[in-house]
Amino acid sequence: MIHLYNVCKNYQKDAASALHNLNFKIAKGDFVYITGPSGAGKSTLLKLLYCAEKPSRGQILVNGKNITRMGSSHIPQLRRHTGIVFQDFKLLDNRTLFENVAFPLEVQGKKRFEISNKVYQALKHVGLHGKLQKYPLQLSGGEQQRVAIARALVVDPLILLADEPTGNLDLEVTLEIIELFKKANARGTTVLLATHDQEMIRRFPRRVIALENGQLVNDSAP
Amino acid sequence: MLDQLIYLFRRVFRNIRQSPVLCSAAVGTVAVALTILAFFSLIVINIQSLAAHWSEEIQIVAYLEREPSPARLKQWRDGIEAMPEVAAVRYVNQQEALRRFKSRLGSDSDLLEGFGAEILPASLEISLREQYRNRESAETVVGRLRQNPELAEFNYGQDWLERFEAFLELLRFGAVVLGFFLLFAALFIVANTIKLTLYARRDELEIMALVGATPWFIKVPFLLEGALQGALGAFLALGGSLALFQFFLRQGLVALLSVTGGDQIVFLDWQQQLLLIGTGILLGLVGSVLSLRKFVRI
Repeated sequence: MIHLYNVCKNYQKDAASALHNLNFKIAKGDFVYITGPSGAGKSTLLKLLYCAEKPSRGQILVNGKNITRMGSSHIPQLRRHTGIVFQDFKLLDNRTLFENVAFPLEVQGKKRFEISNKVYQALKHVGLHGKLQKYPLQLSGGEQQRVAIARALVVDPLILLADEPTGNLDLEVTLEIIELFKKANARGTTVLLATHDQEMIRRFPRRVIALENGQLVNDSAP
Repeated sequence: MLDQLIYLFRRVFRNIRQSPVLCSAAVGTVAVALTILAFFSLIVINIQSLAAHWSEEIQIVAYLEREPSPARLKQWRDGIEAMPEVAAVRYVNQQEALRRFKSRLGSDSDLLEGFGAEILPASLEISLREQYRNRESAETVVGRLRQNPELAEFNYGQDWLERFEAFLELLRFGAVVLGFFLLFAALFIVANTIKLTLYARRDELEIMALVGATPWFIKVPFLLEGALQGALGAFLALGGSLALFQFFLRQGLVALLSVTGGDQIVFLDWQQQLLLIGTGILLGLVGSVLSLRKFVRI
């Protein structure tokens, strides 16, 4: 599903590499933690996977396509099959939960009845179908992250990328969020979850790719 | 297709509803810039149209050394009337010239007492066809008339015409330069105002790109919004310049150009009004394009 070959990323010419010579494969349907301390390169790696950044060297294959050679006109197509969840949720505060979750489907030009149906199912899946017309700021942090997950999953993505999704949440909420990722993974979505929360990894052991100073220092499965 | 169009317009109106202050600022900027532009255009257009009106009075007066015999006069008239530029030729004999001079002097006409008609030369007043009422044609005709040694002197207001044409040229040049600077300033301000509206919505733009929106999908509503703001601004400018014209400019131009009554002072015709609205739309569109380049990066 995801192959990295000698991937390097330098943000500035003479600065230290954000990522250095990464090589690994992730199979379809895998659940993988990307872990490491702050500045290890976790977010940079995810950015490369959703084409917000280009690698300075090396090749990345996603679903058989070399995304490093992909023209910018093809990037939207790649992102339509990729769900992305951020630590700061990135919800639109002036739109209702329904409108937030409907956003990716509107972008894809889906019909209104299809959008309504899918959005309701996605919000039901994260337990927020009773708050369709609420605004994000009327919700708790955990609920906001659940909306963000619903938005990521509403398009039935092949890959779900999550960048420190529980970084701002307490343990109880973190466990609920991880359950949602596990459910998505059980339905066949490949999940890459960047975190430095070792407690989470201990409770839900899965394959761990550990980075330090941009280098792969450990790749282990439980 | 229809669904997408409806969705597109819903997004445009939602954007406008969500930031009414910034939207009004963009509309206001276009309106002010175009009102100033329309104001100066009105001045230039009216001076030009009056100039065209004045040039209708251009005629050539050829003064004769002595009064010709009727046969000779007929020969000359036929020759002159055959010229393509010439509309009519009128002979003014010495008596007629003296009578006109006296009537022009009015109450001072007694100054001419004791003088005979011989003090004034007879003349031929040659009026030109409409399309030839300009300095070049007048000079062409005079050039031909000079071959007749009996015609001593010519007057077609050459100094006045030269100065007037130079003034018009300067006015046109000034209007073009001023218009260019005004449009450039308006574009700069509009682009920056639209940039502010985009800055306020940068999260939305970022999320759109992240969930797979194509650059055009992101840009088109903002371009439409820019065009709509430009059009609205232009309509306001049209209304504003009409009000300025009715209350100030008409009287000002009547006084400046010493025309009788305000009928000769006109507002923009419908093509010029359309051009103003088109300029507003273009301003909004180009302003959006310039700003979007910075904000929409996939």
